[in-house]
Amino acid sequence: MMAGVSPAAVVSRILAAIFGCYAFVWGVVALGVAVLNGAGVEYHAAEQAMMILAFVLYLVLFLWAFSAASLWRVWLVLALGSALMLAAAWQLQRMIIG
Amino acid sequence: MLNNFRQSMAWVHTWFGLVLGFVLMVAFFFGALSVFDREIDRWAIPDTRFEPQPMPSYDNLLKQVFADLKPHPVDMVATARRVIGDLPAPETMPMASLYAYTTHRDPVLSIGGEFAIPNQPKDPTDDHLHVHGWATIDPRTGKMLPDDQLKIGSNWFYPMHYSLQLHWKNLGIFVVGLAALVMLVALVTGVIMHRKIFKEFFTFRPRKRTQRSTLDLHNMSGVVALPFHFFFAFTGLVIFASFYYFPVSGTLLKPLHDRHEVIEAAHTGLPHDEAGVPAQMASVDAMVAEAKRIWADRDMPGEVGLLTIEHLHDANGYVSIYRAGSDRVALVGEGIHFKASTGEVLREDPARDPVGAVNQFLTGLHLQHFEHWLLRWLYVAGGLLGCICIATGFVFFVEKRKQEHARRGLQGCRLVDAMAVTTVTGMVLAVVAMLVANRLLPEAMPGRGEWEKWTFWGAWLLSLLHALWRSAPVAQARHNPAWREQCWVVALLCVAAVLLNWITTGDHLIKTMLLEPYWAVAGVDLSLLACALVSVLTARRLARPVEVKDSARIGGVAYE
Repeated sequence: MMAGVSPAAVVSRILAAIFGCYAFVWGVVALGVAVLNGAGVEYHAAEQAMMILAFVLYLVLFLWAFSAASLWRVWLVLALGSALMLAAAWQLQRMIIG
Repeated sequence: MLNNFRQSMAWVHTWFGLVLGFVLMVAFFFGALSVFDREIDRWAIPDTRFEPQPMPSYDNLLKQVFADLKPHPVDMVATARRVIGDLPAPETMPMASLYAYTTHRDPVLSIGGEFAIPNQPKDPTDDHLHVHGWATIDPRTGKMLPDDQLKIGSNWFYPMHYSLQLHWKNLGIFVVGLAALVMLVALVTGVIMHRKIFKEFFTFRPRKRTQRSTLDLHNMSGVVALPFHFFFAFTGLVIFASFYYFPVSGTLLKPLHDRHEVIEAAHTGLPHDEAGVPAQMASVDAMVAEAKRIWADRDMPGEVGLLTIEHLHDANGYVSIYRAGSDRVALVGEGIHFKASTGEVLREDPARDPVGAVNQFLTGLHLQHFEHWLLRWLYVAGGLLGCICIATGFVFFVEKRKQEHARRGLQGCRLVDAMAVTTVTGMVLAVVAMLVANRLLPEAMPGRGEWEKWTFWGAWLLSLLHALWRSAPVAQARHNPAWREQCWVVALLCVAAVLLNWITTGDHLIKTMLLEPYWAVAGVDLSLLACALVSVLTARRLARPVEVKDSARIGGVAYE
């Protein structure tokens, strides 16, 4: 059934798809709200737009986590991406509030 | 992950679909029941079997009802844990805000209030310190309904739909959220696996062997209602997103959010805080009349759905009146806000921006406050098609593997099949057993609602034990007789529930359909009878010996 794939790799992919992608989408939502709000979009409009976008993105990332050839790349993109976006959102918020 | 894209997607479909399928089954089935939650409430609480009522007069009726409303003992206990020192006596707490809520399907009115307390919180960031009180009243008389009458539809089946009743750290809401995401994943991967989507639409071969016809039914129910399934899983996620799944505004972006709230409060002119100066209240009925006039002027006359008062008896107090959304899909309140002491209009909620409008439409389509009975039934049909799709997925999983498992002495199929019995027939059994208990337990029994809940869990647990106990034949590649046996029990309980409703309330179907039509109760009775019929037909079909003529393998589909 799973010829050539170790159980550890399967577990790792499942964790990446559920939690790694979750963290990444968190980053996109936070950064998206901050950027849109910073660009003058009303806060709740920005928030709602990102919430709708979030699950489309989550769905696509989830499938990518299982179809990508390199598991290392999946983790790298998800971990680095979410950390960078969360930091950027935080920084942008400080600039907006001043 | 696997050799090629389609195989990887098939793996995701099979295993995520199996594991989260059990949760999805619960979400779909109780979602379908929640479409008629108010009607199930009427069935379960016979005292409330009267016509839906409009919002009653505040000045003549609700004012006195709210004066009688006291902090709820349950919330007294919960709040006492969060504060420093002892709480004052509940009778002495002043009410700070209140609400009254009804819909076009509600004979009864839900009311509640927040009571102010002088205590400081143990956790300094705990910024919402009130004791809550709530009640359900008969809007014709103002009489409060007994507290331990469980609204089985709206307070048990409906929360089951989105929280599985797992309230610890909102775990249930997150599990259902993951299941909803997996539903989206399963739909996309399902389409990738099959490709011949148009053909699936018209393919059902009930006379072939179980494995083939199950797969046909799985594909057909998945494809026919694909937009429905996708939409409901998606909008369900969006409804909870900003509060539970991605709470950016309460965490990372709280400073940005709070800044916006302050700007908005200044912009709307609705006082955020109390003035600390007591004030009299003007006529709320006059404000309601004015709100209705404004809605009529906007060419959308309507009834009041929600009435709230903030900063009660304070100079900053204001009354908000929202329109019931019976005539449109989008959840729109068209709120009008009045100064409580004078009755002057403080603010009319503006039209939504485009993003807000889209969001309200998505949310409204899921939550369906509108009045459209045909559409309601279509929602039920969609939900049940979802259940069929998931249940046939389980059966196919087992049918495909059980020969091999039997040969190799594995028990996996046996366990999956028992779990499937529990989530398909067992879940229906738990629901119907609860309704039977509702009619059998004495009316004045203390803690009646709790006993109904225990009946629900107890029946479900018994169905699991029964399914496991009877599962041995699956390990020899035969059917588990528990499927059939539980179908018979469900049928029996369904008929018993209808008869008990007649005996205990006198509302038999001829009366509720013809003599004094009351479709809320008739609908539940008829649904129970339909369920009994389907159960009997299924049980009889399952009793037939299985003919294995078609040994051809299932071609064209990359099942892993």
